[in-house]
Amino acid sequence: MQDFEYLMPTNLDQAIGLLKKYENKAALIAGGTDVMVKIGKTRKAPDVLISLRRLSALRYIKKNGGYHIGALTTHRMLEQSTLVQSELSALHDAASQVGSVQIRNVGTLGGNICNAAPSADTAGPLLVLDATAVLEGPLGRRRVPLKEFFTGTYRTVRKPDEVLVEMEIPEDLGRYGSAYWKHTRRKAMELPLIGIAVALKLSQDNSQILDSRIALTVAAPTPIRAYPAEDFLKGKVIADDVLKEAGRIASSADCCTIRTSLRCEAWYREEIVRVFVPRMAKLAAERVKNR
Amino acid sequence: MTEKVGAIGSSIPRRGALDRLTGASMFSADFRLENPLALRAVRSPHSHARVLRIDTEEASRMPGVARIFTARDIPGKNLTGIINKDRPLLVEDKVRFVGDPVALVAAETEEAAERAAGAVNVLYEVLPAVYDPADALANEAPLIHEKGNLLFRRRVVRGDAASAFSSCAVVVEETYRTSFLEHCYLEPDAGAGWVDADGTLVIIASTQNPHYDHSEVAALLGVEDGRIRIIQAATGGGFGSKLDLNMQGFIGLALYHLQRPVRCVYSREETFIATSKRHALIMEMKTGAGKDGRLHAMKCRILCDTGAYGSYGIAVASRAAVHAGGPYEIEHVDTEVLCVYTNNPVAGAMRGFGTPQVAFAHESQMDLLAEKLGMDPFEIRRRNALRVGSVTATGQKLEASVGIGECLDAIKESYEKARSARSDRGDSPFTCRGVGIGAMWYGIGNTGMQNPSTAQVEIDLDGAVTLYTGCADIGQGSTTVLAQIAAGTLGLAPDEIRMIVADTKLTTNAGATSASRQTYISGNAVRDAAAKLVDVLLTEAVDLMKVPKNSLAVEGGFVVYKGDTDRRIAFSKLAARARRKGIPLRWQGYFDPVTSPLNPDTGHGEPYATYAYACHLAEVTVDITTGEVTVDRVVAAHDVGRAIHPEGVVGQICGGVAMGVGFALMEEFKPGVTASFKDYHIPTANDMPEVVPLIVESSEPTGPFGAKGVGEPALIPTAPAVLNALSDALGKRIYHLPANLERVLEAANKRG
Repeated sequence: MQDFEYLMPTNLDQAIGLLKKYENKAALIAGGTDVMVKIGKTRKAPDVLISLRRLSALRYIKKNGGYHIGALTTHRMLEQSTLVQSELSALHDAASQVGSVQIRNVGTLGGNICNAAPSADTAGPLLVLDATAVLEGPLGRRRVPLKEFFTGTYRTVRKPDEVLVEMEIPEDLGRYGSAYWKHTRRKAMELPLIGIAVALKLSQDNSQILDSRIALTVAAPTPIRAYPAEDFLKGKVIADDVLKEAGRIASSADCCTIRTSLRCEAWYREEIVRVFVPRMAKLAAERVKNR
Repeated sequence: MTEKVGAIGSSIPRRGALDRLTGASMFSADFRLENPLALRAVRSPHSHARVLRIDTEEASRMPGVARIFTARDIPGKNLTGIINKDRPLLVEDKVRFVGDPVALVAAETEEAAERAAGAVNVLYEVLPAVYDPADALANEAPLIHEKGNLLFRRRVVRGDAASAFSSCAVVVEETYRTSFLEHCYLEPDAGAGWVDADGTLVIIASTQNPHYDHSEVAALLGVEDGRIRIIQAATGGGFGSKLDLNMQGFIGLALYHLQRPVRCVYSREETFIATSKRHALIMEMKTGAGKDGRLHAMKCRILCDTGAYGSYGIAVASRAAVHAGGPYEIEHVDTEVLCVYTNNPVAGAMRGFGTPQVAFAHESQMDLLAEKLGMDPFEIRRRNALRVGSVTATGQKLEASVGIGECLDAIKESYEKARSARSDRGDSPFTCRGVGIGAMWYGIGNTGMQNPSTAQVEIDLDGAVTLYTGCADIGQGSTTVLAQIAAGTLGLAPDEIRMIVADTKLTTNAGATSASRQTYISGNAVRDAAAKLVDVLLTEAVDLMKVPKNSLAVEGGFVVYKGDTDRRIAFSKLAARARRKGIPLRWQGYFDPVTSPLNPDTGHGEPYATYAYACHLAEVTVDITTGEVTVDRVVAAHDVGRAIHPEGVVGQICGGVAMGVGFALMEEFKPGVTASFKDYHIPTANDMPEVVPLIVESSEPTGPFGAKGVGEPALIPTAPAVLNALSDALGKRIYHLPANLERVLEAANKRG
């Protein structure tokens, strides 16, 4: 193991103060499920690791003029929240499938987002829930829509002296339903080969799509929204051929840049997008009806 | 001789189970040594390269480095291998795969060892490499070993296959491929060592074969046998890979030169790069049958990629050849297996030794024949199943304990129910269901060669009994089973037997924990030793009780008169009496199964004294739009002769099914690509089907209490059953394992 200094601030101001003090010599660590793996693998560590573990004030799931999820909320907390399960279903789908129970007990939502892997499980659901990231730094708070948060693979708009404190989701989800599919080679302990998140807003009679959001992970250098496919669905009456066409558009170069990697070939990933955009749309619609 | 009720056929608590549960078990990496050095191998980044120079100077001067060894430091013979010696401990002239060790660093800490390993400068001249066994056999192929790239050829010929095909009503001919696999035992390879006061080099190891380790380390170091002691630590699985000398030689070399404690613990990544894999096979198989479904002829040619060194390649090739036809009687057989060197990772022993691969081929062929004949897959197997009196492809007449028919009968009801229920389309319009059978036979012990075991049983003057066995329990439960066999023979309870296990100073050679041989072979050796001791006790009792020997029995630590069980004499009294006469109280048992070597040209002979049989029924659900497969249920019938410890048998079956599901659907080690669990998938609990184990006991007359073995058979039928179920669901067959998402989806897309 590599040597590094490990600091444990007990409040946000301290954490930001430490970030400012050590500048680029420091890195943040929350659950550690990405950071420690990276240190072990690269045999390189920053001089200082600033742990956010004691910032327990940032562990919460609240509904109060919108949904507010603290950055240190663990995947397990999301998994066990009935509020998340019934109203932010896609996020529940994602959080409950991250790693194993042990990993979900320590891995945090903020960590998953700030690590900014193209495969981040919670990114797709948060994108279709139209989430906003709340960052705090020496100059105060700022809010960045998640769709503008990722700037590249493992890169975000977060400045080195900022801490992600919360994910905010707009309140009006009354006629929305959402779902996330993590496509894997086995049924647990896996990264997605491709991830598909869909949120639909339906008319009162559940027949018409009033709003649609589709997000894909592992389909581009960052988690992305599939806008052309979303636009295609808006205003349409929900039907198999319509959803199928949305899947086709989502899998096309208009929406994503799916590639062949060591883990999976491009043709297969594209096929899964074609199959699961409709399936997740149907599941999302089901969930609108069942709410 | 009486059998103590409860000793045999009883699922008593596993020896050491509580220690495992509480964390008290000492694995190799757990030993606390005084100031140990860490060992780290410097491994080749090239798959084929001449080593021009190894510069250790700079690395040697790094902080914490005690010494860096190269091939020149090996005092004895720098060539290892259990069957053919072709593998240097440290490479001297050229590396043959990515991971071949060229130097060994000993340093004060793991970190220092790792840093120094990275600083050893090796100058390589990269040579052309070959990764395909067919290419490796071409005339112009780069030569990996001086003797040529063909390591071994095994033929098995019976009758006249070529002309028999012309009289067949149906013939199917296909090519099957399997991939390299990683064993994925829970405990990565590890060992430790120190030098005893008397100069003995003591090596603690995670191993399947301590006595082999012992002889190999002694030869490497050129020291007398008595200067080495190998002790098997608690071992977290092996599945064949821990039959090779993985770290024992490194530890021996460091102890020899440095005379201070050392430890060598592999990371998971190092086990991936350095240890053996399951052989990838290419199998061209042609099988013909009559209208009645009777098999007439089978011809097959198998290429077996053994990678850079032999390891167990010859055994895998030989066993694949003998088992290629499956558990069926076939009059005309023509099998050729070529075991070929390539610059891939070393392929060695892995649960089943080539039989899981050939079972995939022969069981696919059975279903294809059934389909052409319009016959039920169950029926064609039942008709052809081996039985007592059958003659195998090697010309061996099977005399007893041929339980394949009973295994098939055991799954019949489940099979018929599953077949009639499978037309349900499942829960969604995208899925379909399938049902498949896989059957197998498996020869217990090494193929056509001696593979004896020994054991010692000792009684002390208090009447307490100790069993000494060299048999490595790697988690499968042999220590428990051997205690049961000793107890069953001596009329004691199993927990009354004290066990001394797998320590080359204290125990005699029991051979490898491999080839599903320990229950049958070491079990017989234990029974032999215990029976000799019983005879001594009975003889003494005859003297005292003045009754014939056959009227006496052993029971609960006494010799009792069967006519009146109140007449009894304690073991302790009899032992003391024997001692006074100078009669030994420690007896050696021995067993070597009766086999005869295979003829090099025809393969004729009696390769095994007995065979285990099994069949699995698999029910699967396939998503035809994504290629996802769920194995819903596996009904697994195994003829084990006699289940000494039924829960142990069930454990083997469930573990075997898990491994079989991985082999069938997801496991693939891609040389040069696969580096860790991140890109190597083994099934999780969520991927496991419901397993219904059915124990079939077709008693083996030569087995201890009728027992055979189950360790490897547990795995073998699963993949064939899953693949047959898949093609039942899809109407399309997959010929290349694993049947991963892409391959299943491609097959689904080709459906009519």
